[in-house]
Amino acid sequence: MRIREIFSLISFLVLAFSTLPLAEVMAQPKEIVLGTALPLTGGQSREGGYFKKGYELAVKEINDGGGIPIKEYGKNIPIKLIIYDDKSDNTTSVQLYEKLVTQDKVNALLGGYGTPLITAHTIVAEKYRVPYLNGGGATAAIYQRNMKYVFGILASIEKLAHTLMDWVSAQQDAGHLKKPLKISVMGENTSHGKEFRQGVLDKSKAAPARFQIVMDEPFELNLKDADPLLQKLKASDADVFLADARLADYTTIHRRYTELRLYHQIVSYGPRGSEKAARDALGEASDYIVSCNWWHKEVPTPAARKFAEKYAQTYHEPAEWFPALAYETVRVMAKAMEMAASLDKSKIRDALAKMDMKDSLVVGGRVWFKPNGQIDNDYVMMQNLPGAKVSLIYPPEVATAKAIVPIPKK
Amino acid sequence: MHIDLPALIVSAILLAGLYATMSYGLALIYGVMKIVNLAHAGVMMWGAYLAFIFIVNLGMNPFLAPVLIVPTFFFLGILLQRYIVSRIMSAPPISSLLLLFGVWLIMQNISYLIFSGDTRAITTPYTLSTFLVGGISISVNRLVVFGVGILALVSLRQFLGHTYLGKAIRATAQDGEASKLVGINTQWVMEMAFGIGIALASLAGSLMALIFAFDPDFGRSHLLKGFCIVVLGGLESMVGVALGSLVLAIAEALSVLWIMPAMQDFVSFAILVIVLVVMPGGMLGLLQKFLKT
Repeated sequence: MRIREIFSLISFLVLAFSTLPLAEVMAQPKEIVLGTALPLTGGQSREGGYFKKGYELAVKEINDGGGIPIKEYGKNIPIKLIIYDDKSDNTTSVQLYEKLVTQDKVNALLGGYGTPLITAHTIVAEKYRVPYLNGGGATAAIYQRNMKYVFGILASIEKLAHTLMDWVSAQQDAGHLKKPLKISVMGENTSHGKEFRQGVLDKSKAAPARFQIVMDEPFELNLKDADPLLQKLKASDADVFLADARLADYTTIHRRYTELRLYHQIVSYGPRGSEKAARDALGEASDYIVSCNWWHKEVPTPAARKFAEKYAQTYHEPAEWFPALAYETVRVMAKAMEMAASLDKSKIRDALAKMDMKDSLVVGGRVWFKPNGQIDNDYVMMQNLPGAKVSLIYPPEVATAKAIVPIPKK
Repeated sequence: MHIDLPALIVSAILLAGLYATMSYGLALIYGVMKIVNLAHAGVMMWGAYLAFIFIVNLGMNPFLAPVLIVPTFFFLGILLQRYIVSRIMSAPPISSLLLLFGVWLIMQNISYLIFSGDTRAITTPYTLSTFLVGGISISVNRLVVFGVGILALVSLRQFLGHTYLGKAIRATAQDGEASKLVGINTQWVMEMAFGIGIALASLAGSLMALIFAFDPDFGRSHLLKGFCIVVLGGLESMVGVALGSLVLAIAEALSVLWIMPAMQDFVSFAILVIVLVVMPGGMLGLLQKFLKT
């Protein structure tokens, strides 16, 4: 009798569960957990703060729309965003990413800012096989380690150099610059600087009739004395001066450049040039400097404009590339989850690998990844103009003005 | 490639003034108290920020700002010595190293909290002003910094050689116990010496802010360069520090003729190692030894 009752109960339960939809039987997640550790204090607190704003803006926008639609559960699921402060410290950052994966049980990871920190994070992501998407690490070295779960929406620094050289070629073709052009290149002695120099060298090797490299020098970070470097630059008798430097070194080098009364037909410090701090520090000396960046608020696409307006309304400050790329990082991750139709980490990873997002705010409007996980879209080039103004000069589809080349002599 | 050697040497001499200014305080504190002041970098950084506040926010004349900054840090140095550093004076040297390293980190973090990690720079009417001498472009800012470096050296020499406190500082530096026996209040002397050392570091920071962009990490690489100069000059001698600064600046500048500019720090630290091994008393020590023989 007792055995028959138990058997009946089991039969009933099996029958009942087999008739229910699978989605209703499985645990229904209340939220999708995205985690990140950002440098909110310490040396990179400014950039970390921008990333936090970008992440929070995107998450609010998605949650206001009901969340991310996940087909497997048949509903929209809101995002829970966990942000830790890594204090701009590699060791702390890695510990926090371990915590995000092992204790907070995140569904996916969002990146921090800066090559050293991101390089450290990616090891955690790969070890635990958690999809990791960042908008703050551009050096190709991050993506050259055959990692399957690591993706980034910043194009490489080599690509930055290539964009710069392509634009110089366009200026030659337009008759603004001669052929061949003597180029001096220098870069900070980091993977960032090395990739920049390599990009310039690659392009010049490919077009010897256009370019002749007359100086190629690395320099130490936090320069105390730029004179030896600049005396070499002067002696090189170059037509064009291209450099890759951080803000402090850019300011130090260009102040001395101006004091030494040097002149080149084009001057560029890679991604640096239009920052307010540098323009305040350099004044008129920063006019006509050309820079390359991943994004600019004046990029004339609907997605870029929409973000710039929304950011300015929310935070009462103009949008820079940091929050723009952070915002887009969340949107791309959300899109990958929607495409995966699941919160299974390997499926999200596969969706990222197959990503082809067309309405993006990145330059070119399209997000897709090379096999190594890094995007390969264009940069936007800018030129400083007198009166602290900036014009977009390249690529042609985003240009708002023609570049002034050669730079007027002062 | 033809490098403009005279321009390079003039630039190195001007740079030596800056190097000397940032190293006097380090040498003075080591000379009197036999401690390596790792907080020196933090003081230079705070000097730079205070200069920024005075010049950019309050619109003060850039070369008058140090007149307010130096006394402020002199008193800060006295308080630091009286209430913190004096407690570990009899402890092993590692204690003072760790303590002052901690002070530096605290200063850095306070700056991050107040000023964030943003890079700042001071722009004045003199910034980027130059004049030509024999075809060599001389920066007004750098010339003023060089002048202040020379003035600081002369003032320090006069002060240490011709005032009671200066003589007491020298006596304490030579033999603290004997100084006590002849009635010198060595605790007071150490406070004054520490105050002067900190004031000199702040002077260097406020002048460097006119030339370099800075953030809360400012001073770290300059501190290492300061160590090289102090060791090269002979740890306790102000003239030695000035001489060490000149030798180092010229060596770094001329090294560009043979090695890449990115190796400038290699030159500094190679000199440091060679000096420590070959002439531990510094250049002046070697000179004195040479004169004796």
